[in-house]
Amino acid sequence: MIAAPAMLSSVLALAEGPLDAHAAPELRWAGLALLLPLISGVLCLLCGWMKVRSKLPAALTIAALGGAFATILRLQGAVGETPVVINLFDWISWTWGDGSRFHGFTANVDLYIDRLTVFWMLFVTGLGTLIALYASEYMESDVGKGYTRFFGAVSIFLFAMGCLVMGGNLVMLYLGWEGVGLASYLLIGYYFTKPEAVAAAKKAFIVNRIGDLGLALALFLIWQCYGTVEYAALWKAIEAAPASSEWTAQAIPWLLMLGAFGKSAQLPLYVWLPDAMEGPTPVSALIHAATMVTAGVYLIARMFPLFIVNPDALAAVAWVGGLTALLAATIGMAQYDMKRIWAYSTISQLGYMFLGLGVGTTFGASYHVFTHAFFKALLFLTAGAVMHGFAGQLDIRKLSGLLKVPGFRLVSLLAVLGCFWLAAFPFTAAFFSKDEILVSAFTAKDERVHVLGWIGLVVAALTAYYTFRVGFRVFFGPVKYEPGDEHHGHDDHQDHGHDHGHAHGSHGASAAHGGHGHHGEFHPHGPRWAIRVPLVLIAVGAMLAGWPSYRTMLNHGEPNWVKTQVAQSSAYQGVAAESHGSHDDHAAAPTAAEGEHAHADHGHLVLGMDAHTAVGRLGSLACIAGILVSLYLHLINRGAADALRRTLMGSIATRWIVVGAERKWLVDEFYDWVIRLPLRLVANILSAIDELLLDAGIVNGIGALPAAFGRLFRPLYGGVVQGYAVTMAGGVALVAAWVIWIWLRGAN
Amino acid sequence: MNPIDPQLPPGDPLVMLGLLASAILFAVGIVGFLSRRNMITMFLCTELMFQGAGLAMISYGRQHMDLSGQVFVIFILTVAAAEAALALGLVVLLYRRKETLSAEAWKELAES
Amino acid sequence: MNLIWASILIPVATAAVIAVANARAARSLAALGSLASLGALAVFAWQFPAWSTGAVFPEPCGCAWLSSINATLGVGFDSVSLLLALLEAFLIPICVIGSWSAISDRQREYYGWFMLLHASILLAFAARDVLLFYVGYEFTLVPLLFIIAIWGGPERRQAAHKLFLYTFLGSLFFLGSILFVGWQHHASTGLWSWDMGTLSTFASARLPANTQFWLFAALLAGFAVKVPLFPVHTWLPLAHNQAPTAGSVILAGTLLKLGTYGIFRLALPMAPEGGAALAVLASVLCTVAVVYAALICWVQTDAKKLVAYSSVSHLGICMLGLFALNPVGAQGSVLYMINHGLSTGALFLLIGMAYERYHVKDMDQIGGLAKRMPVWAFFMVFFTMSSIGLPGLNGFVGEYLCLFGTYIATADASTGYPGLLGPGFALVAGTGLILGAMYMLLLVGRYVFGPLREPKADGHGKHDGSHGHDPHGAGHGHDEGHGDLTGREIGLLVPLALVCLFIGVYPKPMLQAIGPVVERTLAPYPAAVERTLKSQPQAAEAAKAEPKEDDRG
Repeated sequence: MIAAPAMLSSVLALAEGPLDAHAAPELRWAGLALLLPLISGVLCLLCGWMKVRSKLPAALTIAALGGAFATILRLQGAVGETPVVINLFDWISWTWGDGSRFHGFTANVDLYIDRLTVFWMLFVTGLGTLIALYASEYMESDVGKGYTRFFGAVSIFLFAMGCLVMGGNLVMLYLGWEGVGLASYLLIGYYFTKPEAVAAAKKAFIVNRIGDLGLALALFLIWQCYGTVEYAALWKAIEAAPASSEWTAQAIPWLLMLGAFGKSAQLPLYVWLPDAMEGPTPVSALIHAATMVTAGVYLIARMFPLFIVNPDALAAVAWVGGLTALLAATIGMAQYDMKRIWAYSTISQLGYMFLGLGVGTTFGASYHVFTHAFFKALLFLTAGAVMHGFAGQLDIRKLSGLLKVPGFRLVSLLAVLGCFWLAAFPFTAAFFSKDEILVSAFTAKDERVHVLGWIGLVVAALTAYYTFRVGFRVFFGPVKYEPGDEHHGHDDHQDHGHDHGHAHGSHGASAAHGGHGHHGEFHPHGPRWAIRVPLVLIAVGAMLAGWPSYRTMLNHGEPNWVKTQVAQSSAYQGVAAESHGSHDDHAAAPTAAEGEHAHADHGHLVLGMDAHTAVGRLGSLACIAGILVSLYLHLINRGAADALRRTLMGSIATRWIVVGAERKWLVDEFYDWVIRLPLRLVANILSAIDELLLDAGIVNGIGALPAAFGRLFRPLYGGVVQGYAVTMAGGVALVAAWVIWIWLRGAN
Repeated sequence: MNPIDPQLPPGDPLVMLGLLASAILFAVGIVGFLSRRNMITMFLCTELMFQGAGLAMISYGRQHMDLSGQVFVIFILTVAAAEAALALGLVVLLYRRKETLSAEAWKELAES
Repeated sequence: MNLIWASILIPVATAAVIAVANARAARSLAALGSLASLGALAVFAWQFPAWSTGAVFPEPCGCAWLSSINATLGVGFDSVSLLLALLEAFLIPICVIGSWSAISDRQREYYGWFMLLHASILLAFAARDVLLFYVGYEFTLVPLLFIIAIWGGPERRQAAHKLFLYTFLGSLFFLGSILFVGWQHHASTGLWSWDMGTLSTFASARLPANTQFWLFAALLAGFAVKVPLFPVHTWLPLAHNQAPTAGSVILAGTLLKLGTYGIFRLALPMAPEGGAALAVLASVLCTVAVVYAALICWVQTDAKKLVAYSSVSHLGICMLGLFALNPVGAQGSVLYMINHGLSTGALFLLIGMAYERYHVKDMDQIGGLAKRMPVWAFFMVFFTMSSIGLPGLNGFVGEYLCLFGTYIATADASTGYPGLLGPGFALVAGTGLILGAMYMLLLVGRYVFGPLREPKADGHGKHDGSHGHDPHGAGHGHDEGHGDLTGREIGLLVPLALVCLFIGVYPKPMLQAIGPVVERTLAPYPAAVERTLKSQPQAAEAAKAEPKEDDRG
């Protein structure tokens, strides 16, 4: 299955390589992966119009997404090592002049399917299906109200995500890119009567638009340089001129990067993601953790041939990723809202992925996307289950010991498992994927990024700490909880809000606080099967995500499955580059079989060990250290955590750390003061200029000129008939005099 | 001017007399119109100017040996008769409104 | 030919019938007339043989109109003007049916004027004789003046005066220029001709560059007012804000397009040298307009005014595409004319529907209407997305191609069409994408979403004390007024939405129809731009210097 010799070669012009696409009209059925979600989206719209008051929209969506998943599974078998291009129908395409290169523009609705596409779509559609199933129960209090809207938007999201990943050209990608933005907008703003939700939705869309502008400009630039925006033709054009040094070609990665940073919530455009948690939790899990936010990683992996020629751009990606990881981790340590913490951890993990891309391992980045998708979805969904059961409570100070609350045991268990995965506990999936990234950071050819390996390790420790801060506080310790003050944050639902749980048998009211007055005793209600089944399946998926690495470890030298997927795509150069530094024992690339890079392996020593061993040990150490600190501060002696905070707050020298982290380093405020308010001021000034100067001043002024001129002659019009008659007679006399004068002159 | 047009030699006494009379009529009319405020008088003055113009036309018609001038005048006389009826009607209506025949009573068109 | 005249004259006849008919029948008659006109035009479009050739069909006849100067009644369409005329014919029934309940007094005059407006716009698009075009172009002002001044908002008189005088002044430049060209043609060939094709060929080939410069400047000045281009746009927000809903729809939908169409049809082909010389200046104005108007939109609180200013911003992008002087930009620009008509027209319609219920447009007083009117909210979001250029909807293709065309309009472009703009212009105009999202989502966020804010129910009559056309005069309880969209209203919006969706998903037929016309129009430009580049030493040096930098980089 793996055409190892073919892809190893650094020679690009191969007969059958990962970049040589062929048309495959017989695979048109792959379009079902796009069509099914679209159809279910339209049907949901119809349901909304016909005021369907059942769970039909959920059923439709789950069926469609399941169908899309099945399509991708079948595609997995049908697509070989070389990419295929499937034309669905013509979209934007016409030519001018003689129609030669640069005399036409083509962006059709094509699918470009290589292993990377299939790999990405597998977890997108798979997780999409499971999360839709979860949401069918989670959102049930909205049946007949927002239910259809929710599932319609989820369907549209999956359609757009499919376009983004499977599209055969950059305009299709752009369509998907904006489409997921729309879905994200609609879903963040799902509770549209809440001003915060609307503001968050708007913020997400606008911040993303900044990135989109970069993407659009990159697209223009790519066309200007290569005369095409279709992947298949683009790779050929790049092959023809691989290392273009024109400034235009060099600028492309920078612009693409901007787009990726917007969508994937990296510095400086990450600010929308934490706010996006205003959306319903399944949305946070699906869109803002597992799939959509990884689109930036996909973009860079897909466009890797354009990045590889520009080491500066790659270094910038790595640095942005590393710094984002650090910044988000520090903020995550000081938050109290469970979903926000997971949101910052998502930003931080995405930072890892960009770090991986920047140091040249598309494999490591993709692998981390893959593992992260599962455990982060799991964490969000368990958080959602808790929120669902505890009337919207997400504050980790007000929840404790949920492992012992009947009905929540499974959820808590899975959440704690998720914490282990997020903390990259040794020999979990994330451990391996993070390992790949950090090893590449330490061994990258570009020495400017080596220090990022150390930053990555620090972040690993911080991650373990804040992850288990949630884990220990919420799920361990004495049973103690307060319900939230709302149900799903929707002010619509107060009529059937808090006593919702009575329908279920599992009342774990052992230590429940008396509810909020008029609502009486609060009984948390555990989730039913439609939430439990997806949770278990996703947990299994998260466990299995490490499988490729286990196999590599067990069968010495067997290539990592994910690596073979990435190696057979346009991102293959990332794999080849990465294998320069990788250790054969650990994650043998297909390339390693050739052994041609063996000499490079020992070129990079970390603390005297080879990179893989060192990173493995240091990473484990960091993780365990973080967990231990957390264990002490948040389980054994919870008072110590507060005491520590008080101590830090007590001293001026350290106060800024706590305040900064808790207030998110004031980045939002900074943007507000530096960008939004000045812009607003300018806009107000311009508005005043337009109305007062341009319109009232200049235009009306010019309009007043004729009137002013006319006023000069006002005295002539006194209103008496004789007055007019005199004027008239005078006029006639003047004309007569003039005629006579002419006549006299003529006579002379 | 068409050279084959038959024309009286300049200075025909009848033409001269007619033109003089028409000038006097017109001048009397215009002075009357400008100096009097009574609407009926003013109207009579316009009639004087009218007839002055008509007389001039007839005189020039004779000068050019052309009957068009007289044809026009007959037309004008008819129209003027109709006009007179209309104008006197208006004057009556205006009088009813303000109980006066002075033109100064009507200044609505004044600017400012 | 006959079908063209039928589509123009049916509304005129309808207006005549309405004038003598019963006032209650006026709106039905107008709907019938406008649908018949649309039908005639649709049949013509169905049989139209020149969709892919860019030619004019039918050949304009020489039937005399003013025979002494050989002005004719020549009408004919090429694919661009036909598309715009179809847009007009498509929007008019929507306007008429959209006014169904909004206009309750002086219905006969209202619908009569609307029919005349329709006829004159169609005449302008159909005319192949510049004088005939002028007549159609100019006559639109008369019905519009009455529509705004009688059925408009509190400041309707001022708005109508300003609209009329301002655009009339602009038209004088336009009239002067075409009379000049016609006179030059007569002076040079001894024949009078006012045929657009003849005059364009004559002017572009025979007039010296200097004359073409001033000719283009005058035509641009004339049409810029109509477009409207910054800084001569100030009549538009007022007119939009004060016009009745249907007036705004048609104003944004097709009347503004007369300006862009005029530049595309007359200014560009007649004076290529002038066009090339003035492209940069005009583009700077367009780019400024994009950002300037977008920022102003952002601080508006009046929903209708916001959308009105957004027109200024959007048409800036549209004109920028035209001045890219390459097929990509011009394609995008023509497509943008149509798309802007659809989506902005729909937005005005939607705001009008909400206004009919609440009599308030100020977003400080009203908001969160999604709660009351979910269907309305759906359409509002839909057309907002169309307006900010979401791919898959119509706005995207035009906007994207305009910016794309601007971007690749560099002196050394390999497209065969050297241009004078380039990445800088695209970057600045591209911020319109961000700013567009900012103000449109502000509109949606406050007006559609958010907590429900309604003016007090008993204040119902007070809010429109100043307008004499309260549709809820008698017999309409306010409960009825606050309901969601009626079947009639949904029926208006669905066709609009479907067309938007169709153009977004399958723009290929339109692109292929517009392409040949655009190529014909731009045919003299590569050479003219080359000459302009040579005459500007700095630009030429920059073009030469660029490759050198590349070697170093």
